[in-house]
Amino acid sequence: MDTEHTYLDETDIRGIATYARIGLSDAEVASMTTDLNNIIESLRPITEYDLQGVRPTFHPIAGLANVMREDVLKPGFTRDEALANAPDVLDGQFKIPPILGGESA
Amino acid sequence: MNPTKDTAGNAPEADKAKERASKNPGKRAGENNNMPLAEYAALNIADIRSALVAGDLSALDLALAAQAALEHLDEQVHAFVQPTFELAQTTANEIDSHNVRATGLAGVPIAFKDNMNQQGTRTTCASKMLANYQSTYTATCVGRALAAGALPMGKLNMDEFAFGSSTETSAFGPTCNPWDIRRVPGGSSGGSAAAVASGMVPVALGSDTGGSIRQPAAFCGVVGFKPTYGTVSRYGVVAFGSSLDQVGPFGRSVACVAATMDAICGRDALDCTSQDVSFSYEQAAHAGTEQGIKGLRVGVVSGYLDLPGVHPEVIAALQGAITRLQQLGAYIQEIELPNAKAALSAYYVIGPCEAFSNLSRFDSVRYGYRRAGADNLGEQYELSRSAGFGAETIRRIMLGSYLLSSGVYDTYYYPAQQVRTLITQDYERAFEQVDVLLTPVSPRTAFEFGEIADPTQMYLSDIFTIPINIAGNGGLSLPVGLGEESKLPVAVQIIGPQFKDFNIMRVAAALEATYDIQRLAPLVQEEHRRTAALRPGEKSAAPRPDAESKPKAHHDDTPAAHDTRLDKTAGEVQ
Amino acid sequence: MKNLETVLRDWEAVIGLEVHTELTTLTTKMFCGCKIEYGAEPNTHVCPVCLGMPGALPQPNKAAIQSIVLAGLAVGCTIEKRSMFYRKNYFYPDMSKNFQITQGPVAFCMRGGLDLEVVGAAAKERGHREQTRPLTGGAQGYLTHIGITRIHMEEDAGKMVHKGGESGRISGADYSLLDYNRCGTPLIELVTEPDLRTPEEARLFLQKLRQIFLALRISNCSMEQGSLRCDGNVSLRRRGTNALGTKTELKNMNSFKNLHDGLTYEICRQAEVLEGGGRVVQETRHWEPSTRRTISMRVKETADDYRLFPEPDLAPYDLSDEFIAGVRALLPELPDERRERYLRDYDLPLHDANILAYDVDLADFYDAALQTSAKEKSTPTQQLAKQLAKLLINEVLAYLNAHNLTLAQTALSPENLAGLAGLTLSGALSSKQAKAVFAQTVTNGDSPQEIVDKLGFKQVSDVEELTAVARDILTRFPDKVREYRAGKTGLIGFFVGQAMQATAGQANPVLLNETFTGLLNE
Repeated sequence: MDTEHTYLDETDIRGIATYARIGLSDAEVASMTTDLNNIIESLRPITEYDLQGVRPTFHPIAGLANVMREDVLKPGFTRDEALANAPDVLDGQFKIPPILGGESA
Repeated sequence: MNPTKDTAGNAPEADKAKERASKNPGKRAGENNNMPLAEYAALNIADIRSALVAGDLSALDLALAAQAALEHLDEQVHAFVQPTFELAQTTANEIDSHNVRATGLAGVPIAFKDNMNQQGTRTTCASKMLANYQSTYTATCVGRALAAGALPMGKLNMDEFAFGSSTETSAFGPTCNPWDIRRVPGGSSGGSAAAVASGMVPVALGSDTGGSIRQPAAFCGVVGFKPTYGTVSRYGVVAFGSSLDQVGPFGRSVACVAATMDAICGRDALDCTSQDVSFSYEQAAHAGTEQGIKGLRVGVVSGYLDLPGVHPEVIAALQGAITRLQQLGAYIQEIELPNAKAALSAYYVIGPCEAFSNLSRFDSVRYGYRRAGADNLGEQYELSRSAGFGAETIRRIMLGSYLLSSGVYDTYYYPAQQVRTLITQDYERAFEQVDVLLTPVSPRTAFEFGEIADPTQMYLSDIFTIPINIAGNGGLSLPVGLGEESKLPVAVQIIGPQFKDFNIMRVAAALEATYDIQRLAPLVQEEHRRTAALRPGEKSAAPRPDAESKPKAHHDDTPAAHDTRLDKTAGEVQ
Repeated sequence: MKNLETVLRDWEAVIGLEVHTELTTLTTKMFCGCKIEYGAEPNTHVCPVCLGMPGALPQPNKAAIQSIVLAGLAVGCTIEKRSMFYRKNYFYPDMSKNFQITQGPVAFCMRGGLDLEVVGAAAKERGHREQTRPLTGGAQGYLTHIGITRIHMEEDAGKMVHKGGESGRISGADYSLLDYNRCGTPLIELVTEPDLRTPEEARLFLQKLRQIFLALRISNCSMEQGSLRCDGNVSLRRRGTNALGTKTELKNMNSFKNLHDGLTYEICRQAEVLEGGGRVVQETRHWEPSTRRTISMRVKETADDYRLFPEPDLAPYDLSDEFIAGVRALLPELPDERRERYLRDYDLPLHDANILAYDVDLADFYDAALQTSAKEKSTPTQQLAKQLAKLLINEVLAYLNAHNLTLAQTALSPENLAGLAGLTLSGALSSKQAKAVFAQTVTNGDSPQEIVDKLGFKQVSDVEELTAVARDILTRFPDKVREYRAGKTGLIGFFVGQAMQATAGQANPVLLNETFTGLLNE
């Protein structure tokens, strides 16, 4: 597929990665830039449609509406079950690194 | 190629099994555990039911036979990422101790795609991110299959988080196509297709977001069915594209698939999009073979076979199926689907957007891979997610993150959902004229490992399956024999109107009955010839360690060595 | 920094509020069957759904949708039949899925508003009264309309505590701990139009909203527990101009006082910046009660781009007329209506009506007490209604405040309070006796009549008996009698007091008064 169409440059890619919380090396940024531009080019048919007055289909089942449950208790996890897969735990809670730690600059 | 001229089938093996079973009346549980591989591998659900009812086989016999089949075959196929033999035996013993009824899936060995939560197993999505994730609850589809008496043999390999069409993106290494181990089994439910094609289990569950059941079923020569969106609960199945995902069965036959559907389908209070099903899939399939399909209207999409890249064997298979349907008394009608061509683009907008959001929860806070050494949370997110996710997963997340950003949303996401309306309307109009549509499944037969490296080229392998996910209809991949030149399985796709999957079952069962095709990959016969009978743990002089506690290299927790991303793992916590 | 009064002479403050209310009176969370409970052991009310486990899907709580529709109806909103849930995508660890399920451009409730009565000292903050209306009855103050943009349904996040470093501060912490019990609690967010002009108006608006939500019984509205939270948007513009200035968003105003003080500080700070030739930076600022200032949040909030898109796992809404009518039927009498009724039907003093009508528990108790006396007699007389109100405010409220209790925590029943009101009204009990009876019934729940009998309280109303007591007192204090007769008529109270002491408080003070007056004027 041609890469004439550039939708995103490497700066854009870094921004998108930051938002998605994905760390990318410089080499990964470069190849991701090529890949994403190619994929976005393949999405062009979407932009070429005349869609005036066409309603979107966010939910594929037509007429599906108002699906709700009653306000009734259901058993959940014990605390041990809740924490079973946690990478780090302290005092019955999930432990994570500081939100703002290690910012030297 | 002439799909009517099939290679020698091994259906007689099943007859042998029945015959043999009837010679052994009064066999007690566990006594009949030296069933020959080819015999076990040929059993379908009907065979299992009658053998259980007659008392010729116990559920434990079947669990042990399935275990032995896995031990013999999976080293070559690598369909399983986690066998669960103990669970299977426990379930079998429960079935045997209660009075087994010949309904549901009692005693039927089954396996689940590893994006389905099953308590007592890890659910890895074939990702390093979840390599050690222990299911804390059971998915509804898994729970229902087990409640129907199925024997859980294990969890099946897949493309990482179901992103892929070849099972090559699995962090645990690829699954091989049992028909030719140099080739891919398709994907993303490649493990499910390969497990059935190699006779290890008669049925398996997979999930289909853009063809992930139907394409691997076609590549592996088994029946694969994606029901109408909403038919099977998605609760507990790790989400990829929430408005596209649908769970469905793989099976040795249409009847096997139908029986599995009856066990797993229907409204589930835990999935708001799940719906009641008012008919029996098995009865619908039965109606196809018993009453035929005379007078049914079958649509063929104009222009589909002229698309670039559609292999002559695929064209021949479709034409052969059309001829057979006509012979069965069906009317063939050409149908226009003018907007189907935009489906691929719509899919690569909607799918990644939903995936980006669905995969945000993998942040190594409550579960999942955590890379040590981060000074702060943001760093930990980035380190863990970039090391825990594979390249294709990262690509989809990045794409979704971009497409949902402000401004871009209005250029792609919203229009894609409008195009979805047009595509859905195409199908609605089509099904005013016909009862089912007949199309190819994949433009080609199974390709070799590494043959397709460009992601956009890989995406094209789903052009015939994706529109069905966009519109939410049901579609079934029916094997129709081997390509004359390639000697690889070829299939056709039968598509029905939303929530009228019984049309599909009926036509599929009727059409299937006209073929006498090889069901099992040659691999099974070869292995069968090498080993007289199946006894678990007796395959080699040095029995391998218990698969559940100490998996072999390719079953291992840690992603396989050929994942280059593994170079980053130094200092990981888990 | 100039004070608020000075600033508001030259500047007009434009204030909007975002009010988050947890639906704490529901049993379960928004999208799962986990219990809503404040203060439970960490991570004991969690399940696959609210913990965001892989594969879990949300199931919306019907009662929460009923609650938000009820809230919308109570504040004059249009109920939008068709709306959807959306996903708001941003990474924050207290949100288990890293997206929040909320609503998009169309919320369940749109375009409402409340009339705000600003009286007394509170009214002084607003010197300029354009776009206000005078109060009826010529009271001091004004009436102003506050528009409500929308109320939407969403889910609350979990709780995060920062450990190490400065106590509990996010900066300098060594690590953080997460408890997801609160995660997924149903939350309604009400957004006002920028119609508020003074910190007092903001405070009164929040107070009024709280009174309404309490009356609807959809939340316990505790700012202390965080079930009622308020953020403010503030900007200034020169008096006489219309263009909106740059606004700042104010967080952490977790009490009515903080809301008032935070806004006051921020208005004055902005005025100082603007008058010094500077520009207000659009940012989020944190109110620090300890230092009494707002500070710019160091936390880099995620970009405003939330990647909002319709939640595919939840069905859209298409509320039926029946559903909305069903909720409307649940709408209780609102505080304003209640006050009207008290003024109109019972002729209560405005002060009493205000106190009762805006406290739903007190008002319900009051109405129940009136109801029981209505059952026993014919209709509750205005006299009884006033007497009950007086008892509730003077005795009951004083008691509750003194002991830091709520009505429900006492043994007092509406029946017993009505009984006590009846006894005092008929003159059967002296006020001192009434206090004694109240002190018992409020703790043991016995009926006032029982207590009266037990204590042997019997008011002496026999004139002959009282006359005998009075004569006796008069002979014991001849000096006082002389003084009285010389014109020091205030001594009547002394004589009555002596007689009350002599009868152990059982004499009818009204009759006693009459008796003494008669004897002394003989």
